[in-house]
Amino acid sequence: MIVQRAIESAGIPTIIIAALPPVVRQSGSPRAVAPIVPMGANAGEPNNIEMQTGIIKDTLEQLIQIPSAGKIVSLNYEYNAEV
Amino acid sequence: MTKMTVVNGLQSEIYVPITPKPVWAQVEKELKEMRVALATAAGVHLKTDKRFNLAGDFTFRKIPGDTPTNELMVSHGGYDQADVNKDINCMFPIDRLRELAESGFIKEVAPTHIGFMGGGGDQKKFNEYTGPEVAKILKEEQVDAVLLTAG
Repeated sequence: MIVQRAIESAGIPTIIIAALPPVVRQSGSPRAVAPIVPMGANAGEPNNIEMQTGIIKDTLEQLIQIPSAGKIVSLNYEYNAEV
Repeated sequence: MTKMTVVNGLQSEIYVPITPKPVWAQVEKELKEMRVALATAAGVHLKTDKRFNLAGDFTFRKIPGDTPTNELMVSHGGYDQADVNKDINCMFPIDRLRELAESGFIKEVAPTHIGFMGGGGDQKKFNEYTGPEVAKILKEEQVDAVLLTAG
């Protein structure tokens, strides 16, 4: 989040796909989305092009829609990694 | 950080998280007009590039936007890499971003993307060096939006 904040401070809008929303909130991310994913697959299930495309498109749309700093939007995608 | 100590050695029983002050850059363009870059704390880099120090590393790697995914890899000391080793798009969705540029959802994929190793390392260096350096590169390349993963 330090890097995200630095990019945002330089004037470029940013958004992070988070697997750990409380951490993102605490560290001051300006914009975040949170699909239900494990650490290691924030952008969706491996080789699931449909899920990954959905997550990336929704994330970019939230870049436009989130009205003010610190908002975390849940995304309706779920991937449970089989360990 | 603000100096909060009033009485030395005295600690509140109540845990009060201190979040940094908000940062905000206004979105000025529509998505279809945007040049978009990825930045990931997931330890992604070119196979030919230097591995990250798994014990903590504040350096970053540049990744050209036209790199085929089979030329990318991960070195990171802090998460299960089973998924990302199957498909690097899990953490570095560059193929998806290229497809969105082809379909016109965004204008274009930025020439340079950034990989670093989050979740530890020298936080002072991240604040004073890594963050500003990465921002400078993206600014110079006239990036309109940055999508990050990890966290």
